Order: sequence, then structure tokens, then C-alpha cells
Amino acid sequence: MLTDFKISFFLAVRMLRRSSKTGTLLTIFIIAMVFTNMIFLSSVIGGSIELMNEQTVDFYISNIIIKPKEDIRFIDNTSSLVSKVNRIPGVSHASARYELGASLNHKSNEIALPVIAFNPDDEKLVTKIHEMMKEGQFLTREDRGQVIIGNYVAGNVDESKDFFESLGGVKTGDSITVSFVNGVSKDYRIKGIFQTKSYQTDYKVFISWNEMEEVLGYPLDQSNELLVKTEAGTTEKEVKRTMLSYGIQEQVKTWKEQAGGLFDESIESFQIINNITLIVSLIIAIIVLFIIIMIKTLHNKREIGVLKAIGIDEDIIIQSYVIQTLIIGILGITIGFCIIQTLIAYFLAYPIEFPDGNVSLYVETGIMIESAVLLIIASIIAGYLPASRIAKEEILTAMRG
Amino acid sequence: MAVISVKDLYRVYKLGKVDVHALNGVTLDITEGEFVGIMGPSGSGKSTLLYQMSLLDRPTSGLVTIQGKNVGGLTDHQRTRFRLNHCGYVFQDYALVPELTTEENVYLLPMAQGKPDTESIDTAREILGKVGLSNRLSHLPRELSGGEQQRVAIARAMVNKPDIIFADEPCANLDSVNSKRILELFKELNQENGQTIVMISHEDEDIEYFDRVIRIFDGKNRER
Repeated sequence: MLTDFKISFFLAVRMLRRSSKTGTLLTIFIIAMVFTNMIFLSSVIGGSIELMNEQTVDFYISNIIIKPKEDIRFIDNTSSLVSKVNRIPGVSHASARYELGASLNHKSNEIALPVIAFNPDDEKLVTKIHEMMKEGQFLTREDRGQVIIGNYVAGNVDESKDFFESLGGVKTGDSITVSFVNGVSKDYRIKGIFQTKSYQTDYKVFISWNEMEEVLGYPLDQSNELLVKTEAGTTEKEVKRTMLSYGIQEQVKTWKEQAGGLFDESIESFQIINNITLIVSLIIAIIVLFIIIMIKTLHNKREIGVLKAIGIDEDIIIQSYVIQTLIIGILGITIGFCIIQTLIAYFLAYPIEFPDGNVSLYVETGIMIESAVLLIIASIIAGYLPASRIAKEEILTAMRG
Repeated sequence: MAVISVKDLYRVYKLGKVDVHALNGVTLDITEGEFVGIMGPSGSGKSTLLYQMSLLDRPTSGLVTIQGKNVGGLTDHQRTRFRLNHCGYVFQDYALVPELTTEENVYLLPMAQGKPDTESIDTAREILGKVGLSNRLSHLPRELSGGEQQRVAIARAMVNKPDIIFADEPCANLDSVNSKRILELFKELNQENGQTIVMISHEDEDIEYFDRVIRIFDGKNRER
């Protein structure tokens, strides 16, 4: 058995080293390209999913969200809850949000949207919306009569460019009228417009907590939700467990639990596309390798006949071709891996610009290993089939070439 | 004692709808240590006979016995093993493995028998020295002349010290000087090692090297 493998390896290495170098290099290059193709699309998809996750954490939910108890509209005693949550190990900071239904008017444009109040100092420690100001400035605690709006709310003068109903291309400094559901109607100066490229966030309107108290006409100690930023080095699940162990009675959800439903379908669709690409790439790899090895074995048909004639077992001959394709496959995968790493570095520096954000390549180690293993299996199949076909021919037929 | 015994050997090839009777009941014995020439006109069945005796092909009917063993009943794997351990082959067109060097072509066989690498290499070098190719060990077949390639093939046939060497017109592609050298080499090996050699030839001047000539006509044998 060991002798057979030794002879197979001996023949495979010499055949690879001394047969057509162009052919061998071309085959390795093809495998490298197939491997790159298998990983590239999945890494773009991975990058998009990663972007969605990042946007969700940075702009939409933060790491953990606390919602009112089942069937209750508000979280009462919000200020004490925020203080309590801020003291829980693993929590970096919490920010409360309060929503009030309203309609926004600018000239002839009117849209209905809830206006969300937060404490800008808290918010800055929990989300990164303040870093994404397209124009103007973020809110401060003291701001009254000022509002910041998302890019989609601001919209465009040319309505055909809008994804949603908008205020028709308002700018920083413009005045809009906000009519709240409690009957209060007020003019607000747009202090800034943010653009996170996350459509859930960019279709929002924010005012300061103090401003909301003025609208409501009483000190506000209620909220609809608390966004919680966790400390680096912790996991959301751990911090959620700790929060529950500290007696938080409200609903506590990690961002994955909260956004799961939101992205599940997209991720599932991405995975279907990815799997189809993967299968197509594998079929291409098998066919290409099969053709190359078939041509190689047909070219070496006489040699295979000679080897059999002088007493080399056909299993050893088949094994030697499988080893050749295995070596070619491994070299191709290694080069493909280097190409992928180069692409990752490139797209990290120059991300692909999508409407929802800038996407870099994101490669999961598992997918990389899975693709490499599948390609190696494809190499073995592609080496085995043609070699066994030729090696099983009658000696004299093979020797005639 | 007969090392090869052939009885009522028939080989029929199918060429489309036509049956070609390449061998028509050959019966013969070859004694151990003999240097036997098989001669006959083209298409007479010489090569077909050699292929049946050397286990490279299976007869349509008849019996081939080597060292008293009926080789017709062996499986493909057993036949391959038998060829490796008991037979040596020299073909008209040398049939070397083009990607292997001179010495690799030769030491491949002892390695395949499971002998240690150093022993295999030493044996190969020793035999290549005997056939005058010590200075060509790392050359690929394409870098050798026809005569040199045939000597490598002979060294390969000898390396496992087989009981029988089958040579299919080994001098057909060589000039007269190289042909003579190859035939003398065969004779020398036959006399030194006592190995049985069965060689096909169509040159009458080769007869002087043979102990016995088997002539084949229309698939039947006639001895001289």
C-alpha cells in the first residue's frame, strides 16, 4: 500500500515537473480563478451582510435594545432605568428614545413620520449618527426649535430621485412645520441632515429631549426604547444575561434578535445566490479539470500502456494522476487564496459603493475552507475519471496510443 | 525443462464484422535459459504470439503455461504482478517513460517491487553501467540516441532479474552497428545470467545469436 503510494507520488511529481509547463501552469491558473470566483461573490455578499450588521449596530439598534414590557406602550421611570443600565457590567452607555407621531410640512410637501427625541449627549455614546452628518450639525442637549433629519426625509427637488415621500429637497437652515399628534404645531429650523446610507435610519427625524418636553408641556420620564452600547470585548448575549440578572423587567433583545426578522429574508436570498454560484463554479472546475486531465491522459495513453506492460498496477497509475490533479488543485487554491487576500486589501482601501453603503469584502474562514475542500474533491474526481478510463483499457490498445 | 509452454493457442481479432485469425493453434515449448528467436513474414502472427506468452494479451483459446503455472486463470492484477516479478520487456520503439530520466526509468521497477530506494538506485546504476550508460543517468529519453534508448530499455528489462525477457523486434529502429551491439548484449546477458530470452526478429543475420528459431506462418509455428 505504502509502496504503491510511493510509486504513484514518484510518477506524479516527475510527470508534473517534466511535462508541459505551460499546460500545468495554465491549469493551476484556472483553478486559482475558479477558487477566486467561488470566494469573491460570497465575500461581496458577506460584505453586504456585514455592512447591514454594522449599520444596524451603529445607526439603528446599537448592541442591545430595551423595549417596554409586553402590551405596555412606554417604559416608565426612564431616567432611573438609564442610570441602572449604565451601572451594569459590560454596558458602555444607554440612550432613551421617545417617539411622537407628527406630520412634517415644507411648502407643498407633507410627510407623516414619528419625531424621535433623545438626549444628544447620550446618543453620541450609543450610535454613530453624529459622525454621519451630510450637512449642518448634530443636536446638542440645549437645542430648542431645531431638528435634524435623515437624507431620505430631506429628499430631492426632483421627486423622481426620491425613494420615499420627502420634503422635496430641504437644506440645512430651511424651516419646516411639524404638527404633532397632541395638537402642538411648531416651526423648526433644520440644524443638520445626516446620511448613514441605512434606509431605516435615514428616514428618521430627531429633536432633543428638552425640546420634546416643551412640546409635551411636562417633564418627560417615559420612553419607547433604550438603546444600549456594550463595552468592547463583551458579547451582547453575555451582557443581556447580566442585565436580566440585574432585574431588568422590560424586554431585552440583542440587535440580532431585534433585527433578525428584518434581515433573515435578505440573508436567505443572498445565500441562495451564493450557493448557486458555488455549485456553478464547482461544475466549471470539474469540467475544466476533467477536460485538461482527459487531454493529458489521452496524450499519455501510450505511456500508461507501457507502465501497465512493464508491471505497474493500474491503480498506481490512476493514483498518480489523482495526485497530479491534487497537487494542481492545492497550488491553484493557494494562489487563489493569495488573490483573494489581495482583493480584500484592495477593497478595504477602495470599497465598492452601493446605495446602502460602501461594501468591503468579508470572507468567512468557514466558507474559505469549505470551498477549498470542495475544489480538492472536484480535483480528485476530475483526475480519477479520465485516468481510470484510460488505465482500464487493454495494454496493447493503450500502447498503440 | 519448459519455462514456457503453449498449447493449441488461438487468437482471433474482430475487425468490424470480419474475424482475423492471428494465431491458428500454435503449440510450442521454450526451455529455461534458451535464447529463442521468433521469425516470420509481416502479419504472420509473431507479435501476437509474443503478446500471449508475455501476458500482454489474452488468447481466444488455448493454454499458456509459464514455469508450470497456467497464466490464463490469473486476474488482471495478478498478471500485472506476474509481469513485474517474472518478465522483462524490450519493445521495438523502446517504450520508455518520457518524463523519467535514464536511471528513473530503470529503478522504477525494483521500487515497484518494494525494494528500498538506495538498493533500487544502486542496482539500476550497476546495470546501466553494464550497458554502457553510466554517463547518461540523468538524461531524459528525448536526450538519448535510439541505440542508447534501447539499451536503457534492456537495462529496465534486466533490472528485476526476470526469468524471461520478451523482446519485440528490439533492433528494428536501429542501424546495423547499434543492432549488433544490442544483440551481443542480449547474448551476453543470456549466457551470463542464464535468463530465457524470446525475441522477435525478421533479420536473417540475427539467427546466429539464437539458440533456436521458431518460424511463424499464417498463425502457425514451424521450428528449425
